[in-house]
Amino acid sequence: LSTNVTCFVRTAEPLEYHRSFLKENCRPDGRELGEFRPTTLNIGSINTAEGSALVKIGNTTVICGIKAELALPSSDAPDKGYIVPNVDLPPLCSSRFRPGPPGEQAQTASQFIADVIDSSNIIKKEDLCIEKSKLCWVLYCDIMCLDYDGNLLDACIITLLAALKNAQLPKVTINKETDLAEVELQHKRHLQIRCHPVASSFAVFDDTVIIVDPTAEEESLCRALLTAVTDEDDQLCALHKPGGISLSAEKLQDCISRAVTRNREISKLIDKVIQSTEMSK
Amino acid sequence: MASVQISEAEKVYIMHGVRDDLRVDGRGCEDYRHMEIETDVVSNTDGSAKVRMGHTDVLVGIKAELRRPRPNVPDEGYLEFFVDCSANATPEFEGRGGEELGVELSNTLYKVFNSHRSLDLRSLCVCPGEHCWVLYVDVLLLQCDGNLFDAMSIAIKAALFNTRIPKVRVLEDEEGGKEIELSDDPYDCLRLRVDNIPCIVTLCKVGHRHVVDATLQEKACSAASLLVAVTPRGAVTCVRKLGAGSLDPDSIFEMTETGKRVGKALHAPLMELLQKDESLGKKRQKVGFLA
Amino acid sequence: MPVDTKRVRGPEESQSPVLFLPPSTQSPAGRSGQGARGNADIRPVFTRCGLVSQAKGSSYLEAGNTKIICSVYGPREIERKDETDMKSGRLVCDFRLAPFSCRKRGAWIQGSEERDLSLALLESMQPGVCLHRYPRSQIEVNVMVLENDGSILAHAVTCASMALADAGIEMYDLVLGCSLRQDGDACLVDPDVLEEKGSWQSGYEENQGRVTLALLPNLGQVSGLQADGEMREDALPAAVRTCIDGCHKMYPVVQQAILRAVKKKAPPPEK
Repeated sequence: LSTNVTCFVRTAEPLEYHRSFLKENCRPDGRELGEFRPTTLNIGSINTAEGSALVKIGNTTVICGIKAELALPSSDAPDKGYIVPNVDLPPLCSSRFRPGPPGEQAQTASQFIADVIDSSNIIKKEDLCIEKSKLCWVLYCDIMCLDYDGNLLDACIITLLAALKNAQLPKVTINKETDLAEVELQHKRHLQIRCHPVASSFAVFDDTVIIVDPTAEEESLCRALLTAVTDEDDQLCALHKPGGISLSAEKLQDCISRAVTRNREISKLIDKVIQSTEMSK
Repeated sequence: MASVQISEAEKVYIMHGVRDDLRVDGRGCEDYRHMEIETDVVSNTDGSAKVRMGHTDVLVGIKAELRRPRPNVPDEGYLEFFVDCSANATPEFEGRGGEELGVELSNTLYKVFNSHRSLDLRSLCVCPGEHCWVLYVDVLLLQCDGNLFDAMSIAIKAALFNTRIPKVRVLEDEEGGKEIELSDDPYDCLRLRVDNIPCIVTLCKVGHRHVVDATLQEKACSAASLLVAVTPRGAVTCVRKLGAGSLDPDSIFEMTETGKRVGKALHAPLMELLQKDESLGKKRQKVGFLA
Repeated sequence: MPVDTKRVRGPEESQSPVLFLPPSTQSPAGRSGQGARGNADIRPVFTRCGLVSQAKGSSYLEAGNTKIICSVYGPREIERKDETDMKSGRLVCDFRLAPFSCRKRGAWIQGSEERDLSLALLESMQPGVCLHRYPRSQIEVNVMVLENDGSILAHAVTCASMALADAGIEMYDLVLGCSLRQDGDACLVDPDVLEEKGSWQSGYEENQGRVTLALLPNLGQVSGLQADGEMREDALPAAVRTCIDGCHKMYPVVQQAILRAVKKKAPPPEK
């Protein structure tokens, strides 16, 4: 009987249901307020991509595949390559998304990822130039959600960073005589990663209660969402707070501190997985 | 695809008829309806044909254009298909419905016809890696009365037979630059060899038997049909199960067998007719759309 | 070309580095590289049900390097109400290839190949589902290919039927898929992507073709059949029989995975 009642309360009064847990400093899935869901990472499983990674934060699953192509540099930045990140929320990952062009959430996420790449300089775009005004790399970073249970942005940044670390580009030279590009698949090298940004998302309940890593249900019930991105030098790269209620500076500082520790945890995880992937080869 | 609603009694009547090899319009199970074929019907195309089969009416126009060959096959030309499902043909084609069906039909046509062995794609190449002929095959459905695929394939074959591509030569000047020269003589043109081009035979499973060239009423009695594309030599270029039902393996074998038999038998009279039509030259009586 | 304003755009034109390789190094085909797989063998299959937490049912299938994930939503209220026949439910199939799933990067916008595959998938799945049990509702099947290493349609069929079973949708039978590549006298079951294409020269040789078949194994009915290429008269029936055998080889693996998922959802009472 008791499970039936809980089920009913959860459906009929979801906010009350969550509050009753938050009062006790815990959450319906048994986590503490400041606890992230178990995060797992799998690197390099897609052979058709130059680099790839799949990350799971609890149920939320996001995959990123990086394809590199050759293009002409743009005329206003002749010594730079391109990085083109896109986030897709296909109908596969949740019933809330419909087929067709990307919805608002996917568009915001794509733009956010693009901003993080630009502001943090994960990769210097100059590194992607092969010959000035002639040839450069385009890195298509296609990120796709396979299971949507909240906290999309954290997962996207982790999978992007891991996939970029995994990516290898073949050596390309321009033949002086024919003026055509020549690709050598035998000589591959990793990209130079200049910064390791990691995102941490927070949800605000009842003006003051802040929880980390919200699930889809918590995201829909909370009063404000906040994502902070920090790098390995504890610098803040980006902050994303789409609307919602206002937050005190003190609380914000708490969030950023939590983000800094999260960065350490994730960096360790990525290094460990990369090491074990290389070992198994 | 276009469909009609019929009552259970009508269904039983049609199915019993098919069982006894006598269809509603008097045909046997492997007979086509009366067919009318006319070539060279649209003057501003490089080749065209119109086919009427029962009340199904299909017009095909072919235009040849010089394009860059596909990078993975630098010494071949290629075909592009576009099927326009005119809203005149049936009200279902209005809006998105027609568009979706058009994509579906053109995808299937691409699979049927774009094989190296059915059409000599190399003959369409002008200058490897640089220029080749691309044949744009535009299919216009004027009226639908079942069996669209068969009618389309016959019309495409007839239009390809009718196609005349101007001869071009590649001239090279001293600096290594290339120029394309069009032949002065308008009658000096490239013809396509259509000997090995397949025809589609769609077999509709009605009861325990299958019928060729099903009408819309017959199609309403059937859950699944099998499309078989057959070359004159009896090789199969495409098979596809259509419709919501399933088929047991034995009827698939029987149906492909029938498809091959009917398809082979279709080619000879078709080629004969096309050749006869052409030999008449200017004397040929044009019928056009008023037929 | 319409401009896609809803995505981050790259340069107008970019080319895969593969196009700049010297032609000699471009992918020699052959089954020898794969190790000891015989022509009639299917690749080892790994499969699991119920990985997508948000979906009614889901499945993941890996055959060699081909990786496919599928989720099922519904039955829910029908979206397009203009359908004339409301007595039975509607099956909706969406087949997508992830942009990074092929050697050449694909576009986000669904191309004609994907639409064609969606339709083929729908026609293969429909005969297996008891749609009359779901009047006025629709069941959505979303298939995503994460990596394409050949035979994607066949494996998508198998994957989709597992997801439908996992979702508890009533079915007449499972639907299993198998494909083969006829290359002259050789008949390669469950081809990988190199075997599927062959060299483009081989298009001029005798008896070349590809067959994909979907089977309802207990009813012995073929629910989907697609063949293209140019095959000899006798090659096609033989290919159909080989594919049916191939489907039966998949059956125990699929049964195991479904059984495992059912046991996990409703554990048998402990004695």
